[in-house]
Amino acid sequence: MKLILTGILAGLLAATAAHADEMVFTSWGGTTQEAQTKSWAAPFEASSGIKVLQDGPTDYGKLKAMVEGGSVAWDVVDVEMDFAIKAAKDGLLEPIDFNVVPKADLDPRFTTDHAVGSFYYSFVLAWNKGAVSGEPAGWADMFDLTKFPGKRTFYKWSAPGVIEIALLADGVPADKLYPLDLDRAFKKLDTIKSEIVWWDSGAQSQQLIASGEAAFGQLWNGRVFALEQDGADVGVSWNQNMTAADVLVIPKGSKNKASAMKFLAAATSPKSQAMFAEASGYAPINTAAKAEMPGDVVKSLPDAYVDGQINLDMNYWAENRDKIAERWYAWQAK
Amino acid sequence: MSGNLLHRPPILRRPDGIGGALPALILISLFFVVPVVALLLRSVTEPVPGLQNYANLFGDGTYARVFFNTFLVATVVTTVTVIVAFPVAWMLAIMPPALGSIVFGIIILSMWTNLLTRTYAWMVLLQRTGVINRTLMDIGLISEPLPLINNLTGVTIGMVYIMLPFMILPLVGTLRAIDPMTLRAAALCGASPFDAFRRILLPLSLPGIAAGGLMVFVMSLGYFVTPTLLGGTSNMMLAAMIAQMIQSLLNWGLGSAAAFILLSVTMALYALQLRLVGAKRMTGGI
Repeated sequence: MKLILTGILAGLLAATAAHADEMVFTSWGGTTQEAQTKSWAAPFEASSGIKVLQDGPTDYGKLKAMVEGGSVAWDVVDVEMDFAIKAAKDGLLEPIDFNVVPKADLDPRFTTDHAVGSFYYSFVLAWNKGAVSGEPAGWADMFDLTKFPGKRTFYKWSAPGVIEIALLADGVPADKLYPLDLDRAFKKLDTIKSEIVWWDSGAQSQQLIASGEAAFGQLWNGRVFALEQDGADVGVSWNQNMTAADVLVIPKGSKNKASAMKFLAAATSPKSQAMFAEASGYAPINTAAKAEMPGDVVKSLPDAYVDGQINLDMNYWAENRDKIAERWYAWQAK
Repeated sequence: MSGNLLHRPPILRRPDGIGGALPALILISLFFVVPVVALLLRSVTEPVPGLQNYANLFGDGTYARVFFNTFLVATVVTTVTVIVAFPVAWMLAIMPPALGSIVFGIIILSMWTNLLTRTYAWMVLLQRTGVINRTLMDIGLISEPLPLINNLTGVTIGMVYIMLPFMILPLVGTLRAIDPMTLRAAALCGASPFDAFRRILLPLSLPGIAAGGLMVFVMSLGYFVTPTLLGGTSNMMLAAMIAQMIQSLLNWGLGSAAAFILLSVTMALYALQLRLVGAKRMTGGI
């Protein structure tokens, strides 16, 4: 259904995006894409005169279909970094033109030949204060059904995060996570499997926690930030928060490549990055962006919580994504 | 009959031979045959030529479980749909036409309402903090929320609700064609209402049940939205697995093989049904 809908939408967009002064930006929808539209697309439209059409949600199958079918309707796509590394290897992406996109201030952790950082986030532990008595202190508490009964929610797809959480909860030291011990992780996950509710979109993770449908869960910090701003009664623990990045890529064969490069330059500029961080609660990937932001916003970002912070290993995931995915889905379906 | 035909203006005459069917044939080959052949080709060429995708699907326990789930859900949904639809269809068949058309309108309207909206509505009703559980807990009937969602129960409730019109409509057609006098005759001969139902109404309505049942079963086999939203990961059905392979794993060879199997099973079921019931009676009832 989602495939069909995005297909129709992309088809319509492809028909309209043929004009030279238009391009299509695709992201994950919800509060994140709203912030991207406001902080990146709107100022870019004003300064360049290039209209930025929005599409979404990001769909890797769709991206591959477009590139292989030779009919690319998307010009800039927000994807997870491990996917970007893999997709570049598979020849699905255009190389970035660093003559157009200034590289100097971009965080090298999130810059590759085929991708520039979009923003980076932390997976944090969030809970509904009405549904949980006491304060869960960290990932180990997510696996303690006696101390903290109730449903817990995790990211549904095979992606960096849940496996690491299970290993940390089982006592693996943070610096010994990789290579991931899958047997140990799934054994640990088995202990709470009956109590897991899966979320597959950021909006759903917010709904589950805000309604108390799940007492607690692993959420993107920006989604918790948005909940707090809406006045929802949520608690958050930054203990062992786990960082990962989204990156912006240009699908191979983009019809508006030149506009897309200019868009990347604008979106990763200190000012746009600062605006986005302020609106979303996600951290900027341009190191000069912090100078543009109010002090209290800087304090709410993932890089204010570097104590015990864990960087998820995107290169490991890019290499092992398929192998892990196979086991992941087999385990889920059991 | 043929005399009448001769007097019709030429435009109303049925076109003869292959020439008249040509537009339909072109459409079918363009929108059905070509994609299916492409699907089949992909399933035996990606990532390397051979039958390893099919071997994978049949040899792996996970995929076997997904196949089993798919047929289990389709069977449960079809059975429950028949049981719920029958009294409704019977009521519609014997209702005065004016009232009947209102009820009919309601059923059709629900069919036209967006599927996603209706499924989300069930999510709101069924979740632990949802309307049903809240109400039951407030009046003290239960102390713990009932597990109504993220499991087979949720999938069944949501899918039966969506499938009901597809069962009711063919059934009403069949039931209306049954002469009520046969039931009266049965009663006069001393048959209890249950006997009359079992020995007269049920056998006579079998073609309608078979037609609706097949439609519901086949539609259920390929269902995606409702099982994804209301079921848990352990109730995964084939369509969700195909979506996962295509969207997330980018393993299109395996996804195509799974899709081709689903299509083959559906076609086989349809062929079987045609032989058992006959095309005329099946479609004539609708």
